[in-house]
Amino acid sequence: MTIVAAFLVPGSPLPTLRPDNAPWAALVAGYKKAGRALAASKPDVLLIYSTQWIAVLDELWQTRARVAGVHVDENWYDYGDLPYDIPVDRALAEACVEGCRAIGIAAKGVDYDDFPIDSGTIVASGFLNAGAKVPIVIGANNLYHDFPTTAKIAAMAAQKIAAQNKRAAVIGIGGLSGTIFRNEIDLAADHVASEADDAWNRRMLGLFEKGSASEAERLSADYAKAARVDMGFKHFAWIMGALGGRFKGAEVHGYGPTYGAGAAVVEFKL
Amino acid sequence: MPKGEILAGFLAPHPPHLVYGENPPQNEARSEGGWEQLRWAYERARKSLDELKPDVLLVHSPHWMTQLGHHFLGVKKLSGKSVDPIFPNLFRYSFALEVDVALAEACCAKARDKGLVAKMMRNPNFRVDYGTITTLHMIRPQWDIPVVGISANNSPYYLSTQQGLDEMDLLGKATREAIEATGRRAVLLASNTLSHFHFHEEPALPEDMSREHPFDMTGYRWDMRMIELLRKGKTDEVFRVLPQFIDEAFAEVKSGAFTWMFAAMGYPQIPGELHGYGTVIGTGNAVMEWNLAKAAA
Repeated sequence: MTIVAAFLVPGSPLPTLRPDNAPWAALVAGYKKAGRALAASKPDVLLIYSTQWIAVLDELWQTRARVAGVHVDENWYDYGDLPYDIPVDRALAEACVEGCRAIGIAAKGVDYDDFPIDSGTIVASGFLNAGAKVPIVIGANNLYHDFPTTAKIAAMAAQKIAAQNKRAAVIGIGGLSGTIFRNEIDLAADHVASEADDAWNRRMLGLFEKGSASEAERLSADYAKAARVDMGFKHFAWIMGALGGRFKGAEVHGYGPTYGAGAAVVEFKL
Repeated sequence: MPKGEILAGFLAPHPPHLVYGENPPQNEARSEGGWEQLRWAYERARKSLDELKPDVLLVHSPHWMTQLGHHFLGVKKLSGKSVDPIFPNLFRYSFALEVDVALAEACCAKARDKGLVAKMMRNPNFRVDYGTITTLHMIRPQWDIPVVGISANNSPYYLSTQQGLDEMDLLGKATREAIEATGRRAVLLASNTLSHFHFHEEPALPEDMSREHPFDMTGYRWDMRMIELLRKGKTDEVFRVLPQFIDEAFAEVKSGAFTWMFAAMGYPQIPGELHGYGTVIGTGNAVMEWNLAKAAA
């Protein structure tokens, strides 16, 4: 088994920047549980896809040996900075670049000092990979790649992981329902923007818990449209691709709002 | 204090390829050139800007996209290296800019007065987006004029095009009031491409101009139609067909800078001066100027 753990987690920096805010406590606690589960799975590498690393030309892969710096979120800069220092598994990333090309998807490595790592990758790495002990591989969210293409890229990456005889945790970083509040709110009163969004989120999470992978995948397009799910729910496509379209169930470690949008920390049972 | 005024507005698109093609010392990436027609268009715009001698440049960029309202750079000095997350092979630019914080605060306050959600960005570690930097470099590479940087609220995409552009109209009117109240002689920069369908793969040599052309005839036709209307000063007609242009050509003006600029200028029915047109990875880009100072003389 080359994929030893799989997680769907939010990319909003709010729980990191304000962990003491009550409505975000469930996500913080969930992230901590997921971090322990990830550590227990003893991965050699984290295979990451974040909806917030956006590409429009080619599929980009981070190939810098170590990415480090201080990031400031373009929306939530008021709440502080996001320092990061994360090692990258270059050998695997470069194999993924070649692997993309082999399946007909133009791809490139990104190896530049000061490249802006996205908030989602930094937040998830901070919670799940404390101390940056495990190297990561990050694939970009090409806006022109649909759900099946994203799954196909992740499946290719899983093959490369197997070929390199590595143990990997796959991580899809992104939100659930995407309606955010468009006026300033009292952070202590944050909640999922509508009952309809909340119901959709819980329905999808319920399918995860039941291990209904095919049904979850089938429903993804409707869910994405009805609940304005972050980037068409392609972070779930990433997980499905890496897992070969199968999981036995899931544990929802945390669910809650991020300024009206829905978010959850989910660990899939393999 | 004398009443401030808007001297001119420029349509000033931000493909980082233009900086890459120029090879300025601030950019790490080196090129063999490329996109000359657009770079020469900017040379003409630079000359015109030089003659205007503004106190401040205001730029509205679609690559600082904000969810909660309209944001303004609010730190006096900002510097760093801007690496384009989409074209890091082309754009790794060391910048240092001075913000006209007083004007930015006035714009923010006026926007709030009009019912918009508006915020000042006060974090000194904030990374200025590459759209803002590219437009500012291309129009004024000396970096010797203070700036006001304005985010693009995602309302045209999140709500509807019309709702979003209505917000940009209010933002433009607020900007004008702030300029007048603070006595500034200002130039506006709308950092927008026209037709925005583009190629999805990059040539091995990015500046291989044999690979550069309009993405499709639909976008090209639309660009020419809009430029011709703008050259004739038919501003009302431009804004009448703008939603259709946005839909059919996937025009980046949807993000609001173009509407913001024209609202601030009072939608003048004067001919715009086309400094040049060209494509970048298939997108249509025009550098154009509306010189209000000259029109009033």
